[in-house]
Amino acid sequence: MLQQYSGLGIYLIAAIIFPFIIVFVALILGPKRPNPEKLTTYECGLDTQGPTWVQFKINYFLYALVFVVFDVETVFLYPWAVKFQALGLFAFIEMIIFIAILVIGLWYAWKEGALEWM
Amino acid sequence: MNLSLLTLEIVVATLALFIFILGLVAPANQKRGIGYFTVLSLVVSLIIAIILHGESGTAFGTMYVVDPFSSYFKIAFLIAAVLVTMFSISYVNKLGYNQGEFFALTVLALLGMMIMSSAADFITFYLGLEMMTIPFIILTAFRYGDKASSEAGMKYMLLSAMSSAVLLYGLSILYGAAGSTLYSDVINVITGDNIDALTVIGLVFLLAGFGFKISMVPFHMWSPDIYQGAPTPVTAFLAIGSKAAALAAMIRMFMIALPETREVWMTLVIVLCAMTIVLGNFVAIPQTNIKRMLAYSSIAHAGYLLMGLVAFTNLGISAILYYVMIYVFANAGAFACVNEFGNMTGSDEIKDYTGMWKRSPLIASVMLLCLLSLGGIPPLAGFVGKFYLFTAIIDQGYIWLAFLGIGMSMVSVYYYLIVVKVMFLGKPVEETSVPVSLGAKTVMFVSAVASLFLGLYPAPLTDIATKVAQLFFPM
Amino acid sequence: MITLEYYLILAAALFCIGLFGAVAKKNAVAVLMSIELMLNSVNINLVAFNRFLAPSQLVGHVFAIFVIVVAAAEVAVGLAIVISIYRDRFSTEVDNLDWLKW
Repeated sequence: MLQQYSGLGIYLIAAIIFPFIIVFVALILGPKRPNPEKLTTYECGLDTQGPTWVQFKINYFLYALVFVVFDVETVFLYPWAVKFQALGLFAFIEMIIFIAILVIGLWYAWKEGALEWM
Repeated sequence: MNLSLLTLEIVVATLALFIFILGLVAPANQKRGIGYFTVLSLVVSLIIAIILHGESGTAFGTMYVVDPFSSYFKIAFLIAAVLVTMFSISYVNKLGYNQGEFFALTVLALLGMMIMSSAADFITFYLGLEMMTIPFIILTAFRYGDKASSEAGMKYMLLSAMSSAVLLYGLSILYGAAGSTLYSDVINVITGDNIDALTVIGLVFLLAGFGFKISMVPFHMWSPDIYQGAPTPVTAFLAIGSKAAALAAMIRMFMIALPETREVWMTLVIVLCAMTIVLGNFVAIPQTNIKRMLAYSSIAHAGYLLMGLVAFTNLGISAILYYVMIYVFANAGAFACVNEFGNMTGSDEIKDYTGMWKRSPLIASVMLLCLLSLGGIPPLAGFVGKFYLFTAIIDQGYIWLAFLGIGMSMVSVYYYLIVVKVMFLGKPVEETSVPVSLGAKTVMFVSAVASLFLGLYPAPLTDIATKVAQLFFPM
Repeated sequence: MITLEYYLILAAALFCIGLFGAVAKKNAVAVLMSIELMLNSVNINLVAFNRFLAPSQLVGHVFAIFVIVVAAAEVAVGLAIVISIYRDRFSTEVDNLDWLKW
């Protein structure tokens, strides 16, 4: 039973060990000539500006919340789409109602200003 | 499929969405009207429910059952919703924002309760439960910028999410044990002869989840905090509706799907029932905040209601049904008084109720009637309800439990009378009278009359309750 | 062959980790994440039971989809409340919620 997975197991062990070897080799072979310029934090090659622990605007969270809800509701669309032919008109109407309720939700979010970037 | 069975649910769901839209499009100075509109439409839905109460059948395969039992509970929820929205109008107008959302969420929670009482399938039940819980979480945290309210919302959210996870784990295990989520299949697979460890684990988790929802000791810790922090109308609806809905779902699940496993869960339910009654009543005594006191009293009432399930007879179930109805009226009346007083003074402390008789005879007398009905003093309705429950369990030989219940009722009368004493004998701190809004007046009047009438002349309601309970024990 | 027991043990372990986190963690967001773990263990249970007991019916899968969707709705409400509490008190520690008696 376990033989089926032996390949996977060997691959896993190799994958865990390999990075250590690479780091170790680099440690031995690489020349070490540090200077202050090299030791600064790397941020796309530019000098870093300001503290790293800044607060994000609350709008990000509002967007994220709206996104999470609408994103996950689409989970119902997939089974429906796959079986669209077999389910027929009744399921189609049901889905229209479902989407209409979602649209009301979107309208609400819009009207309440959750989508405005202040 | 017969969609006409779902008329009531469709009406309520459409209503909820319509109120949402109304809240969006109505101009700011017209928003007061949303509350009146909600009350009116809920009254219409109540009439529809009463007209349709004789219908029975199943929809969506056998996932959704409409029968006298579900109709009875739906009528009870609708009465509760009508009463609560009626006295919440003044509260929400004073709050001054998001009127549309408040009423739409209340109606959505009502829809969730209706689905719970009709669910005959684990998935449907779970959806109904969450449809009730999520609006309640939002309503609990409704007071923007009020620390107590948002804190209560946070606690309710975390604890209810945790408890539904526990409940779901139990459901998933029972699904594994039965191979189906339909109650009608579960009863055929899980029979008395083949209870295995899997079923027992599932039942324990399930009971823990339900215990949270109906605030059974030891899962009651959330309710005093949330009752205190939430806006008073929400507290009222939470105390009445959420508890009754969870109880309805529990009765249906345990009586229809899992009656064969009775020896496993019955012992647990008896122990928890006794603990709930004792702890709820004793801890209510030292409370100084009236909402906390009512929270503990509602915990105790959850214990009384469980007695009907312990009896497991026609009489037991009909006693639960009767008790739920009178509990709706008594609690709605009491919370309407608390709401009106809190609206004016911003305080829920019992000591501030001093001399209420002089400041507002209406509030004082309705509060007296409702509290005494909750305490079970004849000739009020609460006495009849408790009498039925105790008779039901004495019939089954649980005499010690009945005596415990009677003794604890006396304890409860003590702490209710503390409030009454403060209201009638104390000297008022201020002489200003407490204004009572029209909606709250109606609620107080209706609940006081109902508590008196159902106590003096209980026969019609008990007949209905007995008939409904025959669903589980056909004669 | 991997049998049903493996999945059930995995789910039980995940559930226990989640429950521990939900009780022991101090930050409200971390508690929410722990609750997600508990819900995911439920999903594993449902899908595994479906696969091993009744592969032809998809009841377990449907249940799992509903659990996922409801969990997302719950988390959305939860995070919104966390934000509103944070605006009030600049903290999301559960221990600081002592305005009401716990």
